[in-house]
Amino acid sequence: MEELMYLAPEIVVVATGLVVLLAGVFLSPQSKNVLGYLATLGILAALVLTVKSFGLMTMQGFQVGYSIFSETLSIDALSQFFKLVFLAVALIVSVASIKYTENSDHTEEFYTLVLFATVGMMIVASANDLIVLFTAFELASLATYALAGYEKKNARSLEGAMKYFVIGSVSAALMLFGISFVYGATGTTSIPLIARNSALLTQNPIGLVAIVLLVAGFGFKMALVPFHMWAPDTYQGSPSVVSALLAAGSKKMGFVAAFRVFILALAALQPDWQLAFTILAVVTMTFGNVVAVAQTSVKRMLAYSSLAQAGYIAMAFAVMTPVALAGGILYTLAHAFMKAGAFIAAAAVVWMITSEKTGNFDVPDHLDSFRGLGKRMPLAALCMTLFVFALAGIPPTAGFMAKFVLFSSTIEAGMNWLAVIAILNSALSLFYYARLVKYMYFLPPEGEGKKVSIPIPYAAALLLAAVGVLAIGVWPEPFVEMAMKAAMVLV
Amino acid sequence: MLPVASLLILVPLIFAALAFLTKTKELAAGMGLLGSLATLGLTLYAYLNFDSSTAAMQFFESMKWIPFLGINYTVGIDGISMPLILLNAIVIPFLILFSWKEDMESPNRFYGLILTMQAAVIGVFVALDFVVFYIFWELTLIPLFFMVNIWGGEKRAHASYKFFIYTHVASLVMLLGIFGLFYASLHQTGVPTFDIRELIAQFQFFESGLMRDGIFLAILFGFLAKLPTFPFHSWLPDAYTEAPTAGSVLFILLKIGGYGLFRISLPMLPNTGNPKLMIMMLGLLGSFSIVYGALVALRQKDLKRMIAYSSLSHMGFVTLGSAGLVALSVSGAMFQQFSHGLIMSILFMSAGAIQTGTGIRTINNLGGLAKKMPKLTVVMMVGFMASLGLPGLTGFIAEFLVLTFSFVNLPGFVLLALLAIVITAGYHLWAMQRAMFGVYNEKLGNVRDINSLQVFSMAAIALLVLYFGLNPSPVLDMMIKNSEAIVSLAAGLGV
Repeated sequence: MEELMYLAPEIVVVATGLVVLLAGVFLSPQSKNVLGYLATLGILAALVLTVKSFGLMTMQGFQVGYSIFSETLSIDALSQFFKLVFLAVALIVSVASIKYTENSDHTEEFYTLVLFATVGMMIVASANDLIVLFTAFELASLATYALAGYEKKNARSLEGAMKYFVIGSVSAALMLFGISFVYGATGTTSIPLIARNSALLTQNPIGLVAIVLLVAGFGFKMALVPFHMWAPDTYQGSPSVVSALLAAGSKKMGFVAAFRVFILALAALQPDWQLAFTILAVVTMTFGNVVAVAQTSVKRMLAYSSLAQAGYIAMAFAVMTPVALAGGILYTLAHAFMKAGAFIAAAAVVWMITSEKTGNFDVPDHLDSFRGLGKRMPLAALCMTLFVFALAGIPPTAGFMAKFVLFSSTIEAGMNWLAVIAILNSALSLFYYARLVKYMYFLPPEGEGKKVSIPIPYAAALLLAAVGVLAIGVWPEPFVEMAMKAAMVLV
Repeated sequence: MLPVASLLILVPLIFAALAFLTKTKELAAGMGLLGSLATLGLTLYAYLNFDSSTAAMQFFESMKWIPFLGINYTVGIDGISMPLILLNAIVIPFLILFSWKEDMESPNRFYGLILTMQAAVIGVFVALDFVVFYIFWELTLIPLFFMVNIWGGEKRAHASYKFFIYTHVASLVMLLGIFGLFYASLHQTGVPTFDIRELIAQFQFFESGLMRDGIFLAILFGFLAKLPTFPFHSWLPDAYTEAPTAGSVLFILLKIGGYGLFRISLPMLPNTGNPKLMIMMLGLLGSFSIVYGALVALRQKDLKRMIAYSSLSHMGFVTLGSAGLVALSVSGAMFQQFSHGLIMSILFMSAGAIQTGTGIRTINNLGGLAKKMPKLTVVMMVGFMASLGLPGLTGFIAEFLVLTFSFVNLPGFVLLALLAIVITAGYHLWAMQRAMFGVYNEKLGNVRDINSLQVFSMAAIALLVLYFGLNPSPVLDMMIKNSEAIVSLAAGLGV
């Protein structure tokens, strides 16, 4: 019974998902809007429970954590922190989706998939066993494959979903293959036991093979170059609210899985995967930023910027000091707010363009659609400005604080060259973020450019994300502290 | 005692927010004026309660912010920051009056940005914690970027991006230096802190000379690019020229690069691996900027661009005076910052008024404007005379101090800088003669003189230039103790 208590947030999310699915069958199409509110409430309840559990654990020794269900799940500062990230993203996404699913026939499926994806991510955060980890990973992935193709009459959405699905399945297979090597060498799938037997992995090349396969498997979810091919197409093609979930949520699932598997289970092989992640981090951030400069589709630009940000977070694996890990973990939270917010703002613009039926209908998220947004939808423009400046790392925003901690850790570790590369990248990224701001505020709108009142769900979601971005930027102490505690689980 | 340092940031920020919310131009400008006057009031309060007989920090406030990283919200005012705060507080209300009658797009943002800028700049001046310092430092970028990009001239997009990215990169390099400082000190003492004075004190104990040099140069680069000094100035002519008048003046009030030199770089300098080399470098950059700026200004066709390069030339005195490392040369450099802020405000306002009046800025296409714009001509003349260093005006005091007292340590560079004085007089007078005097260029049509608010604000600043030129001690006295403190750190150097 006590074990179930620790899982209360997951249980609430699953229950909400089932209720939403079932209720959808009985509700008339007009009243399906209520499902969005229901899902939001469920996520909110889970969020409160998670925050509460964080408070409880602080008193009782959070670092050790609790292993439940025969040590297959572990509830510790790391897992709770990431659950916070996932739930925050799910909350923002589900609030915004109230508008997105307004006239849809499949509202209940949409919300159920979002909720199941969320619960998959939450279990990955807690997974203490490779089989559990893989299953939860797949739960989240399958749900998001379906979500990515939600607009089934939109060719781009289908293309994105197809790519995502095919590459995702291959990478899942690679991951499973890697897990099987680890199992073959150590005779167990339990993360603590693997760590204990890890000497067995270092004795023969099987360990290296496993590392290569696992890096490829997780690298896909984290969208590290060269496993990123799906990301731009999928982020652009998917409904923007789903892109927000993918970029801000499911990408972080790759990170928390990698934290647990590499740092906890495969600590003995640290030199090998550390080198791999160092190279991946540098290549990913540089590639992402350079390619983002050339994009004219805003969602595509955000996708490449998301690559770059994943590159920054991967620096945590390259540096591997407690501060770096805390920085990486804090970055995931900051990025969740910034990126989710940015995609929701894009969603609002896409809504505006498609409902007006003017503009560039083929690519509704084209930079030109953002012309004069400052006059047309002041709130969306203001929030978008905040998010892109945060992504660029301008104070006093979450992005600055996260970069501050993360980049400073590279100096601490004496990896000055990495800090220089990261900083140059950060400066480069400012170029395309500032360009977006220019389009929103300095260029006149295309056509008539009437003022549009932003739908309330989008506005609410934007404000939620904006509050997150500013809270971490202005009052970082509790967040840094939580990230530090989460990092302590790994050290 | 009022927590003046915090209020000086907070008050303009609150009024900025209010200005953003206003709907009409009158309300926006009124809010701007009100906010800037409130700031001026607070500044005068600080000034009257300021004790010039000590180099110690006054109006000190400290509050824990992120204890785990040793980041505190620490602010205070001393003789290095007080004159610069005063400069900002004085010029901004006049700037708002100057642009009171201008037609513009979205005035609420215009005045909101001016006040945001004021808050950010004052924030840099009062911050005593590197994180707070850096946050305000970066915050100054945003209003200026928008200022140039929204209300700027034809090439505003190019100019604003160049400025933004150029100085942002420089700031990031500075941030790396700050990180280095933080971790080296953490390694040394085991206590995390971002306190500026504490870290500077720790700096001398770092073991590796190479590391000290690296940290020093990284931070210095951020300052030199912002100052700016030759050869990191290439953003300046574009940004200053393309900015609207208010933007140019805000650039002029952005004295954070020079401030950083006095607050952070000079106290660190004696403990670098090779201080003499660093001093030579600063001296060289300073005197080169003076000469280079003057030479380039001489051949400018665009009046505003000429003023921009003359600004580069004048800022060279700040670098040169700092490198002089004699109490009075350092004071002179500080005074140059103050004086330059006042003088250049008049110059840019004049250039702005000429552009609004005639629609052109090309010096050769003007001519005889004195006939049509007599009021402008008078105040502009005062500004130009002050800028070329006429005795009795503030520019003279600053440059005299810098040249005379830097000569002790850096005679060669001073001689080099002296060359520029002739050129400086030359391009000022030549430009004045071509643009304002001589036969009126009838092609300009019927040009109207500046309005009474503009006369008032420019004349008021001109009077201050005259007043502090004749009686510099109210400002200079505040600087002396701090200059002595800076110089005493370098006492054993034997330069």
